[in-house]
This record gives sequence, C-alpha cells and structure tokens, in this order.
Amino acid sequence: MATAAHAGHRLERRYARLGVFLIAPTIVVFSLVIVYPLLAAIYLSFFSVYTPTLEGEFTGADNYIRLLTNAAFWNSLITTLIWTVGTLSLQIVFGVGMALLLHQNLWFRSLARSLVLFPYFVSTVVAVLVWRWLFNDLYGAINHGLMQLGIMDMPLDWLGTMPNAMIGVILVGAWKYFPFVVIAVLARLQTIPEHLYEAAKIDGAGPIARFFDVTLPQLRSVLVVIILLRAIWDFKEFDLIYLLTGGGPVTSTQTLSLLVYQEAFALNEMGQAAAYSIGMMLVMLVFMLVYIRRTAREA
Amino acid sequence: MAEVVLKDIRKEFGTFVALERLNVAINAGEFVALLGPSGCGKSTTLRMLAGLDFPTAGEISIDGRVVNDVAPGKRDIAMVFQSYALYPHMTVAQNIAYPLKKRGVARPERDAAVAKTATLLQLEPLLNRKPRQLSGGQQQRVALGRALVREPKVFLLDEPLSNLDAKLRSYMRAELIELHRRIGKTMVYVTHDQLEAMTMADRIAVMHDGRLQQFDEPEIIYNQPANRFVAGFIGTPSMNQLEGAIAGSSFVINGEQVPINRALYEQALKDGPVVLGIRPENVSLSGGSLPATVRLVENAGHEQIVTVEIPGGHRLLAREASGQRPSVGQTCQIGFDADFIHLFQPGENGSRFETTGQAHVIPMQAQRSASDES
Amino acid sequence: MRILRKLGFNLFTWILVLLVAFPLVWMILTSLKPQTELFRIPPTWLPETVTFEHYWRLLTETPFLIYFRNSVVLATTTTVFVVVLGAIGAYSLVRFAYRGRETLATLVLFTYLLPSVVLIIPLYLMMVELGLSNTLASLVLAHTTFALPYALWLLRSFMEGVPEDLESAALVDGASRMGAFRDVILPQLLPGIISTALFTFILSWNEYLYALVLVNSDAVRPLTTGVMTMLISAFNIEWSLLMAASVMMSLPLIVVFAFLQSYLTRGFGAGAVKG
Repeated sequence: MATAAHAGHRLERRYARLGVFLIAPTIVVFSLVIVYPLLAAIYLSFFSVYTPTLEGEFTGADNYIRLLTNAAFWNSLITTLIWTVGTLSLQIVFGVGMALLLHQNLWFRSLARSLVLFPYFVSTVVAVLVWRWLFNDLYGAINHGLMQLGIMDMPLDWLGTMPNAMIGVILVGAWKYFPFVVIAVLARLQTIPEHLYEAAKIDGAGPIARFFDVTLPQLRSVLVVIILLRAIWDFKEFDLIYLLTGGGPVTSTQTLSLLVYQEAFALNEMGQAAAYSIGMMLVMLVFMLVYIRRTAREA
Repeated sequence: MAEVVLKDIRKEFGTFVALERLNVAINAGEFVALLGPSGCGKSTTLRMLAGLDFPTAGEISIDGRVVNDVAPGKRDIAMVFQSYALYPHMTVAQNIAYPLKKRGVARPERDAAVAKTATLLQLEPLLNRKPRQLSGGQQQRVALGRALVREPKVFLLDEPLSNLDAKLRSYMRAELIELHRRIGKTMVYVTHDQLEAMTMADRIAVMHDGRLQQFDEPEIIYNQPANRFVAGFIGTPSMNQLEGAIAGSSFVINGEQVPINRALYEQALKDGPVVLGIRPENVSLSGGSLPATVRLVENAGHEQIVTVEIPGGHRLLAREASGQRPSVGQTCQIGFDADFIHLFQPGENGSRFETTGQAHVIPMQAQRSASDES
Repeated sequence: MRILRKLGFNLFTWILVLLVAFPLVWMILTSLKPQTELFRIPPTWLPETVTFEHYWRLLTETPFLIYFRNSVVLATTTTVFVVVLGAIGAYSLVRFAYRGRETLATLVLFTYLLPSVVLIIPLYLMMVELGLSNTLASLVLAHTTFALPYALWLLRSFMEGVPEDLESAALVDGASRMGAFRDVILPQLLPGIISTALFTFILSWNEYLYALVLVNSDAVRPLTTGVMTMLISAFNIEWSLLMAASVMMSLPLIVVFAFLQSYLTRGFGAGAVKG
C-alpha cells in the first residue's frame, strides 16, 4: 500500500519539476536584475562611494544618520507628498468625470476615447517637450491663450518660479496620467448591470441620486485599487518632473526620486544616494503592502 | 474481471479530506454513474481516473494495469467535459482528429476515422465549422466524437448533459444509452442528477462527503437504500423519514402506533429509537391508523403530491393518483404500505436494517450485486 | 428640448476632449510651421504656411534615425525577451503546483511596484563591472527590471482566463504538458500575448531614466534621451524641429492606436486594475 501511495506521487512530482523548470529562467533573470541590485543597494547604503572612481569605504550607519538629521530627505519627502496628493486628486476627479461622460451616448465616442487615452501612452519625453513649448513664457500658447481669453494680462513664468512650477508639474502629471483612471473606471462602469439603474428609477431616484446610490458604490472597490496603484506610481515618478523642471527652481520640485538621482550622478555620492533610495522604498512599502494584500485577497 | 478498479483511494486537498477509503470495481462494458450532491468527491474521482488529479493514497488500475504514474494520454481513456472543452481555434474536424494526431496516426487513416465518427454522430455538415458556430447540442456531439474517435477502453463523462436545456437533455440521454448499447464500452458517468443516473446506468455509485454510500443497480438503490442519505437523495419527492422508536411490533411516534412486520428484520432490530422511511407513493391517505391533516395539495396533472401533518408537527408527503382531490385542512387517517417500510438506525446517516424476503426485492439481483462487490 | 440637451452634452464633452487633446494637436501644428512663424506674438493658431522642412532636416541633418533605430532594436528585443519568459513563467505560475509558487507570485507583484531609482545605482555599477555600459544590451537588461514583472503579471491574468478544461482535454487526448501548451493554450493566449507585447513595447520605447544613466553616446542612445540632447545641445531651441521629432517619435503609438487599440484596453482589464 505504501509503495502505491508513493508511486501515486510520481506523475505529480514530474509535473512539479516541469513547473519549476519553466519558471527557472524568470527566477534567474529576476535574481540578476532585481534581487541582486536590491541587496546591493542596501549594501551600498553603508558605504561612502565616489561615483567617478567607484571607490568607497565602509561608513556604517553614517548615511542613514545624515538622512535622518539633514533636511534634504525630509524636504524632498514633503515635496513628493505635495506632488503625489495634488496630481493624484486631479487624476481621480478628472478621470472619474471623464469616464462618466464617455460612458454616455456621445457622438463619435470611440474617437473621443482614443483622443483621451493618447496622453497616457505617449512618451513622457514627448509630453514634456510639448508642455514646455506650451508653457514657454514668451511664445507659449498657454500664456497667450489665457491672455486672449482675458484671464491674465501678463505672461506668466510657469516653470521657473514657485508655486507656479509645482502647479505646472502637477497639471502636466494629471494630464498625462488621468487617462489611466478613465480606462479603469470605464471598464468597471460597463459591468454595472443595467437593472440596478432600472430598479433605482422605479424607486424614484433621479440622475444624481442614481450616481450616489448605484454608480459610486459599484466603483468603490476599483477606485481603491486605482488610488493605491497611482499613488505608488506617482510617488516614484522621475521622468516627468526631472524633464519639466529638473527639480527646480532650486529644489522646490525635487521629489525623492530626483534627490536620489541628484545625489548619485550630480553630487557623486552613491552611498548616500543608495541610503536615500532605501529610505524612499521604506516609505512606499506601506502602500505596496496594502496593495499586495488587497490583490492577494481578491485572487 | 473488473476493468476499472479504485482501491483504497484517499484524496486530500491541504487539510481537507475530499475522498476517503474509496473502493470501486467497474466491469468491462458497464455503464456506471457516480452520483452525489456537489462537493461529494465524484468529479475528483473521475479526474483521478483520467490522471488529471492525483490520489494521496491508494491505487487506480485500468484493464489490470496500475495507472497511478501513467500520464492521462497513455491511460487508454477518453473524457467528455461538462464545458465540452472543445478547442476554440480548431474546426470540428480538427477537434475530432486531435487525439489521433497526438497518437501519430497517419493523415489518411485520421481522415477516415473522423469521417466515420462524423457519420455516427451526424456531424458531417459541421466538420468545417468552429465550435463557437455550433449550438450547445452540436458542441456536445463534437465532444462525444472527439472521445469516440480513437476507440478507448474507458469513457469518462463529467456531467456531459448539464449544460443542455431540458428537452435536449432527455433526447441526448436516450442517444447516450443507445450509443453505449452499440459500442459496448465501459463508461463512467458523473452526475448530480438522479434521474440521469437511474435511467442510464447499469450500476450507480452514490457518494456523499467523500465516501461511497452504496454501489448497486438502480432498482436496488431505490428499493433497498443502504442508509438515510441514499434514501433521501434518490427519488423525487424524496423518502419521508420519521424519527421514532420501536416498541414490540409497532413503530411509535408521538404516542401513535404504526404496525410493522418485525419478523422481516434480522435480530439486530431491538426496541428503541429508530427512523422509519416510507416513499410518498407508499403512503395512503385513507384507511390507515395515523391521524393527519392535509396542509398542501400540489397537482402535477397525472398525480398529486399531498403534504400532510401528523401530530407532533412532522410533515409527510404522499403521492396520489389524480382524481379525488383532498382539500386543505381536511383530516384523514394515513397508512403506510407495510411491505415498503424501511427502518434505519437513528443518527444523521443511519444505515438501513436489512430485511429478509421482502415482497419487492428480487433475490437474483441482490445476489448478483453481492458478488460484484466482493 | 431633448435634442437641445443632447447637443449641449455633446458640445460640453467634446470641448473637454479637445482640450485634453490640444497639446498633441499643438505639437503637430507647430511641427508644420516655418521657424519664423513660431515667434509671432500673438501666435498663429493655425499655420499660415505649411512646411515639412523640419521633418526633412530631422531625418537628414540630425542623428534622429540612429536614435530611432536604437529604440526599435531596444524595444523589440526587450519585448521578445520578456514576453517569451513571461508566457512560460505565467504558465508555470498558473497551471503547476509546487512549493513557493504563491510567494513567487507575490514577489512578482512587489517588483512590479518597485521604484527604478532603487535599482539604478547597483545596475549602473553592475553594467560597468560587466563591461556592458554604453551598450543596448545593458538597456535591455535594465528594461527587464520593470518589463518582466509587468508582463508576467499581465500574462498571469490572461492565463487564468484560459479554461483549465481545455488543457485537461488536451492531456487526455494524448498531449504532453508542453504539447498542450503549444497546441491549445498558446492559441488561446494569443490576444493576451499581443496586448502584453504592445504594452511592453510602449513601456520600453518610452523609458527615460535608465537610458539617461546607462548610455551616453549617440551611437546607442534611444529616442528618449536622444531627442532631449537635441533640446539641450541646441544653441537656440528649435521648437518646430523638436515638435517634428516628437511627432515622429509617437508614430509607432499612432499606428497601435489606429489599428490595435482594443488590445490596449484589453490589457487594462486583465492587468493591474481588477476589482
């Protein structure tokens, strides 16, 4: 009997071995380009490394002490939070609003959807170039458009002064990323059963009541996921801000990602930069764990 | 000799025990139904026969060969899935030919076999269609064709009719019986529908909570259910079960007495608590000794199902020929046909007290089933 | 009244849509204006003269075509590499049982959220060590850090959508596991693979940070950093040239949008946003 039981596992074990064999290349690549660098980053954060020569010495927790005591990390953290909260709120508000509009019976609806989605897929470099041209203080379309409409009477320096620079970055971020919210919400809207609305209508609910009593509760779960995911992505955004303002004026739009880059490749302090990046990751870890928990629970 | 044997099968999913001490031996050419409510382990059993799931312990053999370590494709079985599992990107012809292709059958023979199967199942006009262009019944036939084409030893069918509408289902039921008669191959058929099992199978294995409850011919399962579960699961409406006690030659419930023929039962029957089972068709609404009130009358045309309440609040169903219609609230004296009274051990799944020489038992069948199980 | 309300709604929505699309329209319009027309105050909203001279100059006088070729090679290689690994990896994660499988899936999700700047420093050091700095290969490797978790996660959802019965049927019909994968699963997974490939291609095509750090010669620079150097190196910023470059750089996207948009939206449904 025991041998039969043992034998019964052989086919199962053969399958398991095949499964491991199939995932092995992925594990190798993961270890090489993600796990190893991640551990190396932690290791590096205890050294002082000069970028051009890549020579360094062990300095213990010095980098972390500096992280905790110097203002740079904390200022950047605050900047990052302002950017994240600002751009994320705009993305959600515009995204949900636009999704609701595009869910209606609109003329040339699919064309409208394509146009709205495009900014999300366009390269950040392209987006930034276009917006820098739009924001141009002398010849930019925004200044002149606003002046022609009579909203302003003087051209504005959009990216060179505060708080305009932060507002500009937040606006461009919202423009670039709100389509993500639109697609996700639209997909969810399409799955809300029509009979819920019919039932609400029969119960005498008007359009506004129907939105708050039917649509919004149905959107709740997808909105939580969107907010978590976008918060994580906005928090770590580099390209958009770096290319729009370079962190300036001075350091007023320097988020944590930019701080790490600056420290490593402009100030040539790789060890300190690694410590900053680890600190940044620890802050993000909270959101990441919530998101992973949630996804695991749904699966 | 038995063609398919499951010996001491045990299956665990993590800490959950899905099957325990399962022993079934299926004869060559037999049509066996695995019947039970969902979650009873019948599908798992079939999947283990197919090699898609693996027993935690025990031995599976097909045609005398232990197949625990044999890949599904090498077990000489074919399977029809509940979802049909037709390959959506292949035409009907390609679907049917696939098992042959995987066995390295040459193109001309493959085509000939497909053509033959298509004729058998009247699929010729559909051969170049894709599955999604077919109706449910047609898909069902293609799935059958894919199973038939390579003439396996054993057919495994997992609820093959449950996705069809009622009319088509009864048609396909007849078709399957006819098919089995014609090809004479062993078939193992999983279903939760007792009507399918009763009408199609040579023998039925009734399963519940991962355990085999009874494995026998449909009449025996119906007339001599092994325990309270089988008694309640087989037959619609299901058997009435009354908890009471034996005192002398009567079954006593709430002070009322129902006469039983104690001599029919073996020595095991003692005075004390017991469960009486009686099918609705063996309950008569008049001429009995048990006072009852009519609570509900459901007329189904050719018959009516009458719900009556006896003292103590127990409700019983009686099946009556249409004709005189009892009215709700009416009182009557109900009686049980003594030959069809079953007595069970008390408890959630008490087993049935064996009887000797009861009128409805055909002794020959009883003997045959006894030898099968040994 | 009904008609009026419908008209009002359409007008309102379309104004918003056009406002969103305006920067991209402006990009195209600017690229078609002669340089001199750019510096009018107030600007001309529609070009007075349409010219393609910037496109011509871009292709003949700048390294744009080299950047473009580099980007094509980089994004294609990354996509093929990642989709092949991802497809068999997802098959393993969804359809096989072995210890540590769940942990692995969680790890994939974790890396999918990881910020690039954490990895960039060690990756830079690693590429220097391996002698790969300033090569497209270093960028392909770097791009796998975000593309592989992404592709794996997406393909995993698509794989879960392929009915398990199909594979079971193929096994019973005589196929091996890999045979069933090839004959039955792969054809069913194809739309998902196309979606994933498109997304991966776009991600890699648009990536900036790794290209900035790992590559600094024109011969291997992809479009993102390449076009930005054109902005920085120019004495006088030639906006119409840059806008022409932006349009050209978005060409693959425009093609995808015109012909394959359904695959992009499908990717969204299967990907990160569920629930």
